[in-house]
Amino acid sequence: MNVEPLWSEDLRKTYTTKGSPPVEALAGVSMSVHPGERVALLGRNGAGKTTFLRIASTLLRPTSGSIRVFGHDVSEHPERARPYIAVVPQEGKPFFHLAPREMIYTYLRARGLSRETSQTRTEEAIERMGLTEFADRLCITLSGGQRQRTMVATVIATQAPLLFLDEPTIGMDPFARREVWASLRDLTTKGSTILLTTHYLDEAEALSDRLYIVERGKVIVSGTADDLKRSVGGTLKLSLPEGAAHLDSFSSFGEVLADGKSLTIIVSPERLGELMDLAIQRQLTATVGSVTLEEAFLRVVGRKIDED
Amino acid sequence: MRTDPPGEVLRPTRPFGGTVAFLWTEVLVQAHESLAMATAMVTQTVLLVFVYILNPSLIGVALIGAVLFSAFTLGQRVLNEAAYIRIDHKANDLYLAGPMSPEGYFLGMAAGILVVYIAPIALLGGLAVVVGHLALTTSLALLGLAGLVWLFAASIGYIFSTFFRDNRAIWAYASLFFNVFGVLPPVFYPFGFFPPALQPVALLMPPSAAAALLQSRIGEAALSSGQAELALFGLVAETVVVFLVAIFWARRTVRGP
Repeated sequence: MNVEPLWSEDLRKTYTTKGSPPVEALAGVSMSVHPGERVALLGRNGAGKTTFLRIASTLLRPTSGSIRVFGHDVSEHPERARPYIAVVPQEGKPFFHLAPREMIYTYLRARGLSRETSQTRTEEAIERMGLTEFADRLCITLSGGQRQRTMVATVIATQAPLLFLDEPTIGMDPFARREVWASLRDLTTKGSTILLTTHYLDEAEALSDRLYIVERGKVIVSGTADDLKRSVGGTLKLSLPEGAAHLDSFSSFGEVLADGKSLTIIVSPERLGELMDLAIQRQLTATVGSVTLEEAFLRVVGRKIDED
Repeated sequence: MRTDPPGEVLRPTRPFGGTVAFLWTEVLVQAHESLAMATAMVTQTVLLVFVYILNPSLIGVALIGAVLFSAFTLGQRVLNEAAYIRIDHKANDLYLAGPMSPEGYFLGMAAGILVVYIAPIALLGGLAVVVGHLALTTSLALLGLAGLVWLFAASIGYIFSTFFRDNRAIWAYASLFFNVFGVLPPVFYPFGFFPPALQPVALLMPPSAAAALLQSRIGEAALSSGQAELALFGLVAETVVVFLVAIFWARRTVRGP
């Protein structure tokens, strides 16, 4: 039996509604998440990320296939998997008429933690997530980002072995996002495992050890962010603002993207010197940068992450 | 790495686990809305005023009815709260995808709402005892029957809450359901005033069944032994069945209705 924190094989989900054609949200997803890993699930809207997360977190029945949490069959015995998991739901909000301190503490108590442990972890989570200043203000008076931080703090405080985070930093400012990243890294060093979805590709790159890209209910790419970048021809890009007229000269170096007068060439580090020499010979201005995960994603999926 | 993690987080889910903790969560949430507690008594108070003006001798009956109606309409609050948490906050996922039991979530919410609204209901109950000169046994019967009515209504409210996808639809249907079944049948007025042909129906509705039994005890309704048995056994059976269905449904709907 597979006792990975999360393992699935050929997982399928088809939504059926009377009067509408069936919608296949998952078309055979197989994946595994190893102990202590932070794994990102990427895909555009409607790709199947949230459906997978909801099945994995025991909130939705699969149509077929297998999925296990620490060896427990999520389809057949969800009650056995639940003690191992905690979830930040997509668009989830804390109770508006509780303060963050009350929200975190009462949630930990509802999960069965003792008073002392709940109090200690509540204070740790409040401090860790920068909630101290407004820990006793009702959530209804907090900004969207502060409420989201409260949700993440609530789940992080559980220190559950497996955390599912569905767009955990949505609406947060860059400072708060980095606090969340640090907290998640800290949790995995303590032994927790994390599966998250995000539309922020910089977040996926900064945070995840591995990533899966899902498109139309199927995993189309898996590996590290660098693997994904390499799969599109290189990890560096050379931008030539006036290079379009020299397209033929550069096309042998790697993938070439033309946009008006400019050219962008995706290239491996080994061939960069050769490419730069050619650009200098042609007296072209050139800028070198890293291929971003977003650019690699665009090449792989063929459209933007937030495009329907 | 954590493959067989220890600690209290991983205690297997127990039946009704988390009920008390979620009860106090709900108490904290509801206690921040003191105006809601006041407005919960508006309908009962208005009806009591009408009865007092039109026929003061029936105020004892109306006060008993007000207690039962209050217990019944707590079901509407459970319906609204469960749907609001699920539809607007999606916070039910936070609780249900974890070691807390689904039935603990339902029962904790219902009991928390009861605890918060218990003070105004107790006030009405105290008035019913004093004004109606209720004997101890009748007072205890009032307490027990109001408890059954609450459990029935809370269970129905939770079950109904799972069928809605939009809060605006709930406001209309919930208000209609709980007011029609709590006001039209003989809850605030004597059972004998209800059309005889419809009396068996009233005896099968929990609020009016409880009211008829209590009115019978204070001499305001003449129930035959068959009618009294129908009211009592009907109320107990309906409550037990609906409560068991609510527990089953709470577990079933964690992964969608």
